[in-house]
Formats: sequence, structure tokens, C-alpha cells
Amino acid sequence: MRSVAGRGRCLCDILMGHTEMAVMNVREAINQTLHEAMERDPSVILLGEDVAGGAGTAGGQEAIGGIWGTSTGLIGKFGPERVIDTPISESAIIGAAAGAALAGMRPVAELMFADFIGVCGDQLINQIAKFRYMFGGKARCPVVVRLIYGAGMNSAAQHSQAFYNLLTAIPGLKVALPTTPADAKGLMNEALTGDDPVMFFEHKALYGKKGEVPDGVHRVPFGHARMAREGGDVTIVALGRMVSFAEKTADKLAEDGIGCDVIDPRTTSPLDEEVILDSVEQTGRLVVVDESPPRCSVATDITALVARKAFSSLDAPPECVTAPHTPIPFAPELERAYVPGPPAIEAAVRRTLDWG
Amino acid sequence: MQYSQDGLLRAYRRMATIRQFEERLHEEIAKGEIPGFTHLYAGQEAAAVGVCEHLDNDDMIVSTHRGHGHCIAKGCDVKAMMKEIYGRREGLCKGRGGSMHIADTSIGMLGANGIVGAGAPQAVGAAIAARAEGKGKVAIAFSGDGACNQGTTFEAMNMAAVIKVPAIFVFENNHYSEHTGDKYAVATDKDIASRARAFGMEVWRANGCDFYDTYETMAELLDHVRGSGKPASIELDTERFYGHFEGDPQRYRAKGEVDRLREERDALKIFRAHKTTDSLLELAQLDTIDADVNALIDAAVNEAREAEKCDPSQVEEDVYATY
Amino acid sequence: MAALKPFTMPKWGIEMTEGTVAEWQVKEGKPFAKGDVIVLIETDKITNEVEAEADGCLVRILAGEQDTKSVGALLGVMGPQGADAAEVDAFVASYMPSGGGDAEPERDAPSPTPSSSAGTANTAPAQQVRRSEIAKDVAISPAARFAAEAAGLQASDITPSGRHGRITKQDVDKAIRGSRTPALKGPIAVTGQEEAYASPLARRIAAQNGVDLSQVTGSGARGRISKADVLAMIGGSADTASAPAAPQVEEGVGVVPMTAMRKTIARRLTEAKQAIPHIYVRRAVRADRLIALRESQGKPGTINDYLIRASALSLLQVPEVNVQVHDGAIHKFSHADVSVAVATDKGLITPIVKRANELDVAAIAERMGDLATRAREGRLKADEFQGGSFSISNLGGFGVDGFDAIINPPQGAILAVGKARNAPIDDGGEIKLAPVMQLSLSCDHRAIDGVDGARFLAALAELLENPEQL
Repeated sequence: MRSVAGRGRCLCDILMGHTEMAVMNVREAINQTLHEAMERDPSVILLGEDVAGGAGTAGGQEAIGGIWGTSTGLIGKFGPERVIDTPISESAIIGAAAGAALAGMRPVAELMFADFIGVCGDQLINQIAKFRYMFGGKARCPVVVRLIYGAGMNSAAQHSQAFYNLLTAIPGLKVALPTTPADAKGLMNEALTGDDPVMFFEHKALYGKKGEVPDGVHRVPFGHARMAREGGDVTIVALGRMVSFAEKTADKLAEDGIGCDVIDPRTTSPLDEEVILDSVEQTGRLVVVDESPPRCSVATDITALVARKAFSSLDAPPECVTAPHTPIPFAPELERAYVPGPPAIEAAVRRTLDWG
Repeated sequence: MQYSQDGLLRAYRRMATIRQFEERLHEEIAKGEIPGFTHLYAGQEAAAVGVCEHLDNDDMIVSTHRGHGHCIAKGCDVKAMMKEIYGRREGLCKGRGGSMHIADTSIGMLGANGIVGAGAPQAVGAAIAARAEGKGKVAIAFSGDGACNQGTTFEAMNMAAVIKVPAIFVFENNHYSEHTGDKYAVATDKDIASRARAFGMEVWRANGCDFYDTYETMAELLDHVRGSGKPASIELDTERFYGHFEGDPQRYRAKGEVDRLREERDALKIFRAHKTTDSLLELAQLDTIDADVNALIDAAVNEAREAEKCDPSQVEEDVYATY
Repeated sequence: MAALKPFTMPKWGIEMTEGTVAEWQVKEGKPFAKGDVIVLIETDKITNEVEAEADGCLVRILAGEQDTKSVGALLGVMGPQGADAAEVDAFVASYMPSGGGDAEPERDAPSPTPSSSAGTANTAPAQQVRRSEIAKDVAISPAARFAAEAAGLQASDITPSGRHGRITKQDVDKAIRGSRTPALKGPIAVTGQEEAYASPLARRIAAQNGVDLSQVTGSGARGRISKADVLAMIGGSADTASAPAAPQVEEGVGVVPMTAMRKTIARRLTEAKQAIPHIYVRRAVRADRLIALRESQGKPGTINDYLIRASALSLLQVPEVNVQVHDGAIHKFSHADVSVAVATDKGLITPIVKRANELDVAAIAERMGDLATRAREGRLKADEFQGGSFSISNLGGFGVDGFDAIINPPQGAILAVGKARNAPIDDGGEIKLAPVMQLSLSCDHRAIDGVDGARFLAALAELLENPEQL
């Protein structure tokens, strides 16, 4: 009963005859995508803290190569005017990205931890998100902000948050959360081709995850979810790292004859509402898995969507499997209790089935 | 400094346009037809024009909430600006932005901004783009004695110096940040320019009510920036005649202060005074310009009043390029 | 409390209301394994096996073989082997079928539940439930309290889901409902054509119905193919969940979705064939005199036009056949509106010759000419083909000897006409070769008896064999 997860090849790949698939992890996929994009388009620049690393030190440039390893090799190839190590100044980094974008470039700005939205929030929320609209549609601000997020690596309360819900709520921004190397490449290329600002969330615990990645300019449209597993009994919508937990759970439940649609939205703004609603219309049961805390999250957003638009299809109350309403704890046992996992997902699925 | 008659007339026209635009708005706002917050620039004309007369459409500026003057100085369409302030469909920003968010990126005006200090980092980014273009263009952040205290301003100055881009930080010190005086709010052992100096960049100071002083000082500054590609800063000592926003009762002013400013620190009067000692222009030419501008502003207001209002059904347009 | 579960009469299909226990396949008290057959149940259509969905044990058998029970009735009790007899008695005594008799076509009645520990035993309330009282200091919403007390529940019977352990109305509903297991649909293999820009469900439906996504235009954002786009290609209804995977279409087989007209024909004829008790009355008539008359009259119409007139006059003579049959009522007509079957390339349609009894053959011919032309062009008005009490369908032109037609409801009868073929007849004691037509009259036996049909055919035969009267 194991189903093969979609490889996410798009029509343009087939048309361009791309049949090669390399295997690499998410970190490598992002790195490769940046290399290729910066090669193709001279207006693409990268700025952030230590995106090269080592500026002004005895060890010299590229002593680090980016703290997540996603920007290795770029400064060597493209030089310090396109790969800009910045001081620790989140507002200035994101603000500079905003200004460069208004001036015609395609900047990729790295926010080393998504938690630092608190530091540069104005530039994201009041500036980048709103330029196009406030200026009557006559300006474009194609910034890609890469935010590194997620719990599970003992990084504690201020370095582990999943803030895609806050930015999804802001009109004018688009939000992407890739969960596979192919999607990391596809969504990044799509972001770098579009004219809208994109908040690109990279989960720290997914950097090592391997998968097949198509060659060439692989693109994944926004608002187009991926169905990781298919089944007729329960719809599980999972975000980011939670997708792989949902897949594990679905495979285990399949042994009991329980079939789950596992939906990876890939982007929360725009959100592929259609696939979620269509699925619930078939299954009648919804479980949403999100590592954010439970208030005003994407989980509650999706649950409300289904309650409003697929109410008559529901056979059981929808379930949200989320973190608790607490900051992220440090001790490993506590963090494990914080991050939702397969047992909690399975219990939620069974609770929905228990309604008959 | 070599001036041309055309150049000076143009500069005066720009300043007169700003002055009359703002004065007329002050009247119209009192009638209650204009929605929202407006922040008038009257009094600071020499600063905006003295800076922007050096710029072309490929140089970029980022402005503040008090942005009408920078817009006009940079060459934005006056009638479209007026319609925007009136919130009409044919406004410069289709009525979506209003007074605080007027922009025309096609001529390098990257927007007035409602968040104090937000513009400085954006100018750094625009300067990165200018550097990449390699045509010697610059990006200017206009700030005030209020914004000079925002963290973003410091970050931006530091970053501009560190990555070496042609960003120019123009501090228009009109001595009031909202209702608070600069003597209280700006902690420094000298002045605002000296803060920029502490980041290692070259700084200048000029009289922001005197077009000639501002223009000539900026000429030096721009030579330096265009030549070296490094950031710089200038502090302009200037005055605003109106309140922080229209409706501000201005109880923080001394008795008769504004009258005195309008006598002693009026940029148009100071410009005219120069001309009595320099024979490049006739005062009569300036009078003609005043009359022209008067007609233009009149027309702008009338057209704005008659202009089509926005269509509610279009409220959701232009949020994204594609969604 | 042991985890006792009811084993009830299942519901198969919309119409099943009861079943008969044919044969128990397991013994009371003896455990069985997942997949074992527990019991054979007979309904008026089939005998079916009830298979165990998990390992378990039937601790009590209540229904005897050949007992007939309603859907949802208790047939036995499932539980752990060696469950306490008194507990089982109590369970049986308090059991009330919950929702078993409702016609819910989508959901089967609770099938044998697997012995998962679901916490609460079945707490379906008995019909006369004694109200309970929940202590005032229990955190519970007003609506929940009312419902819980009416159902005789204690706070301890209910699992709260509200903040700080507060009980909500939903919690009470759940406690009343107890644990139920739905009929599972199971996992589905992820279906192909991943390279098409389509929503995953659209892709699945396309794969299940043999639709090639490269032929579908997407109406979704940025041209994405949606479920609706695929369904439009299939022309099916919204609920495809219960549709079985379509048979794989072979090479060279064209799949053509039914047009609206074809679907209508299909539906109406299916209804007619299923709902109407048809009886067929047959008669052969000699057509030589009819053919000769037609020649002598200069062929004012086709043979069929003569038939129309003859039928119309016969209907007046035998008014028992000139009826429409409605639910509980028969509509009798005093004139004859005769429908005539016309084949078009879209399907069969029956335009009506109104008051055919008042028209002579030439007028009928003219009327038929116009109706048939417009029928083929699809230009008939609704009242030109809806109504009438009688139809004529003539396949003689195709060489058919005889056939039996399906009545067009609400009409009472239809005449099927074959080709007039030469056959030996008894012509005043002599054997003669003459053209003979086979007639078959289908009658709605709810309203028209065989005798009436016979009398009609006699009248018709009389007119056709002595056609000067036409």
C-alpha cells in the first residue's frame, strides 16, 4: 500500500527534455539553485550575516561559507558586490533588500533565524509587503527573504519559532515552506522569477533531507499543493517538517486499512484551498499538523476554512495537532513534548475515525 | 559655482511650487475635504530643491512622511500628486497611498514613508543597485531630527560604510521631531552630522533655508560620493512653518516664532535677496513664476476636486503581481 | 467494564430493511481471527458473508438461524473471551439500536467493531432514560448540561475537551454516540500524470476515469486543472468517491460521454421498463387490401400514416386503451393524440399527431412530414413530443418482422409494427400469398388488461383489413 510521493516534475521540465534527476539534500538544493540563479540573472544578489563569512578576520573570507552551508561557493564565483556579508543589522539588511528591489534588483536576503522577524518586522510588514499596493501597482519589490526556522535542534525559545503564520497573515507577502529538495529548488526558482516578495522558510532540521532534484530551471507554482500519500478516510494537512511525520503516520495507518490523503501545501500564501477542500469532501475528516503554537496559526486558519466551506462534508470535528501554547523549551525531553510527532498525529486520526 | 539662468529659474520654480502646493493644502485641509493625515513641508523648500537639482531620474531618493517637497523637487507630476492627496483614482498612486505614500519609482522617487526612519536602509539598498549599474548614480535618504534617533538610521549608516555604497544621508534638521525639540531628543556632543562622522563617512553642513548654500555644499558632497563610491552625510539646518501634521495646535512654539521664521528664514525670500546682489535674474521673472505656479496649483486643486473617486470594486487589485 | 460491543444486522444498499440469519459460522464464546466469516445473512436479493474486521469473540449469540431481524438489530455481543455473563446480560438489556433503521445510503450500519480500547462502552441511551443531575460545580456549558442530564449521563461518563476540563455540548454528543467505526475506504495508490499542472484530486479522478489530462483545459488559477474540469470531461456527478475505478479502456475503443438527450432516453426507458408491468398482445394482419387502397388513392401517405389513422379510430372504439397511467389514477381521453417514433441521429424521439382521429390520411401525412423534419433538426417544441396516450413504432422499413416496444410513460400502450411480408393466408378457405404485418401491442397492465389490448387489436385489424373505412 506504499504510495510514491510526487516527484514534482513540472510541465516545463518535460517540455525542455529534463529527465535527469540528481539526488541531493535540501541544503545542497538551495545552494545549487542560488548558484544557477545568480549565473542566469545578474540582478540576483545575496545579502545577510555571514552568507560568505570571515570578512575582516584573520581566517579571511569564506571561513564559514554561510552558517547553514546554503551559500557556499557563491562569493568565490560572484564576488563581494553580489554576495554581501552584512553587519548584524536585521532592519538594515531587510530594508536594503527592499530598496534594492524597488531600484530594480532581485535581492535574496537571509534572516539567520526566523525569530528575528521581531527585529526587522517593520521592513517586512509595513514596507516590503505594502509597496506595490500603496504605490498604486506601479512598483515592484521582488525580494526573497530566506528565514531559517523550526524546533527540534535544542535551539530554545528565541531561535526555534515557526513564524510563517504571522507573515501569511500580511497581505502583499507570499510565503513558501518547502519540505523536499526538489520543492526547495522549485519554489526558490519560482520566487526568483515572480515579481512579488516571497518569505521563504527553510527548516533547520530538514537541511539534511535527501531527495531527487530535477535539472534545469525546475519551477513549482505557488498555491499548488503536493499530495504525499492518498487515501479515502482522513485528510491530513501538514506543514514543513511535519509532512514527513504525517507520511510516517499514514504508512502505519495503512497497515490497519486506514487510508490518508497527506497534503503538503508547500506555500501558505497563496494556499491551495481547492485541494484541501476536495480532499475533505471525499474523506469527511481533517487533521492539521503544525509545529506552531495553537493560537492564530496556519492550522487554525485551515481548520476554519474547512469548517466554513466543507462543513456539510465533515463526519467528525476537525483536529489540530500543534505545539502547546508555550515558548519552545530547551531540555531535550521538553522539546520532544513540544514538537508534534507521529503518535500525536495517529491519535488525532483515530479520534476522527471514532466518530464513525 | 557657475549657475545658469535656466537652472536658477527652474530651482526657483520648484521651490515656489512646493511652497504654494503646501500653503494651498493647508487651506483646503481646513475645509475638511481631504481625508487622513498630511504633513506639510512649507519652509524646507531650499533643502529639497538644493539637493534634488543635482539629480536625474536615475538617481534615487527615499523620503519621509513629510514628502510632498521631495516629490515635487524630484519631478513628480504635481496634478497627479494633488489627486493622490485627495484620494482620487487618477492620483499618482491610484488613490491607494495618499499623502504619506506618494511615489513614482519610474523617476527614482522611491516613496514617501509613514514609518520614521524606514527609508535609510532602503536607500542603502538602492545604492547597492546604483553601484551595480556602474553609472555613478547615487541613492539619497532624507531624514529628520526625529529619524536620526531610530535604530534603522544607525544600522543603515554603518552598513553603507561597511559595504561601501553611494548612499547619502541627508538630515533635514527642522528642530522638531513631532512635538519634541532636537535639543532634548538628540544626544550628541556636537550635532547630527557628527554622528554620521563617527561611522567614518565624510559629512557636510549647510543652511537648509538657503538654496545656494545647500546646492553648493551638495555639489561638493556629490563629487566625493560619485567619485569614491562611498557614503556621505549632510545636515541641513532648516525650518518647518506648519505643525508636525495638519491639525497640530503647535503649542510647543514660542510666541511669534512662526512669524519670525517666515520673515528671517523664508527660502523664497532668501533666494530673492540673493538676486538683488547678483544680476543673473530679474525679480520680475520670479514674480512671473509665482503667478504661473499659482495658476498651476489652482488648476491642480480644481481638477483634483472634480476627479473621479476610486471604485470600491477595485479594492483588491494590485496587492500582488500574480496570486 | 469489559469492552463489550454490539454485533448488529448490517445494512447493504439503500433498500435493505431487514435480513435473515442464515447460518452462524462461529461458535458462541470461541474466538475468531480477522478475516474469518462470522455469519451468513440472507436478504431478498442475496446471501452475504459477514467477515470479521479484527480478531475477536462473540460472547453471546442472540439471533437464531432463520431469524429475521431489522437492520441495526442486535444479533450478538462481541467482547473479550470469558466476559462476565452478568455484564453481558446487562449490556443486552440496556442496548437500544442507535440509528440502525435510518435510510442513510452513504453509511453502513455499525459493522462488527474491532476490539480497540476506545474508553467508553456503548452508551446508547435506552428509550425511557432516567434524567441525571450533574453537580453545580462541574465546569460544563448550559447546553451540554441540558443534553447530558436528559441522556442520564454523569460528568464522569464524559471526556471534556474545553479549557481546564470544561465539558462542551460536543463532548456530550460524543459520549452519547459512543465509539463508532466507519466503513474504511483505505489507502489509494498515488496516481500518474504527475507532470500535468493539475490539482491532486483532479489527477486522481482523471486516472480513475481514463481521462488524459493533456486534453483538459484548466480553469483554475494560472490554468491549473481542477476537479471540476476533469468531471466536465467525464460528464459525471460530483460524488465519485463511491464510483468504482472505471474499467481500463482498450486500445482503439472510443469513449464517448453520453449526451444529455441520450441520458434522458436512458433514464426514461429504464424507469419504464422497471416500473411498468408490460403485457404483450400480438396479432398478424393481412395488408394487401391496405396496400391496394393506398395505390388507388394515389398514395396520400405512407403505410404508417394509414396506421396512425387506423390506430386513432381504434383508440376511440376501445377507450380502455386510450389512457395515460399516473400514480393512483388513470386519465381517459376522448380524442386520440398519437405519438410516432422518429429516429434521429441523436436518438429516438416521438412527436405527437394531435387529434389524429379528426385528420384524414393526407392531413396526417402532411403533419408527420413536418414533425419528422423538425424532429431531426431538433426543433420540436416541448408540447409536440410530451403527452399523448399512445405511440406507434414502426421498424418494418428496416426489415424487422416483429418486435416488442417499451411503453413511453405516462402513456398506456405502444404498438410495434413490423414489415409486411408475403406469407400464406386463409383467404376464404383458399391458401393465398399476401403481405402480412406483425403487430405487437405493449400495454401497461396496471391500467389495461389483456382483454382490452385484444379488443383494440381486433378493432385495428378490422380497419386495416377493410381499409375503405379509413
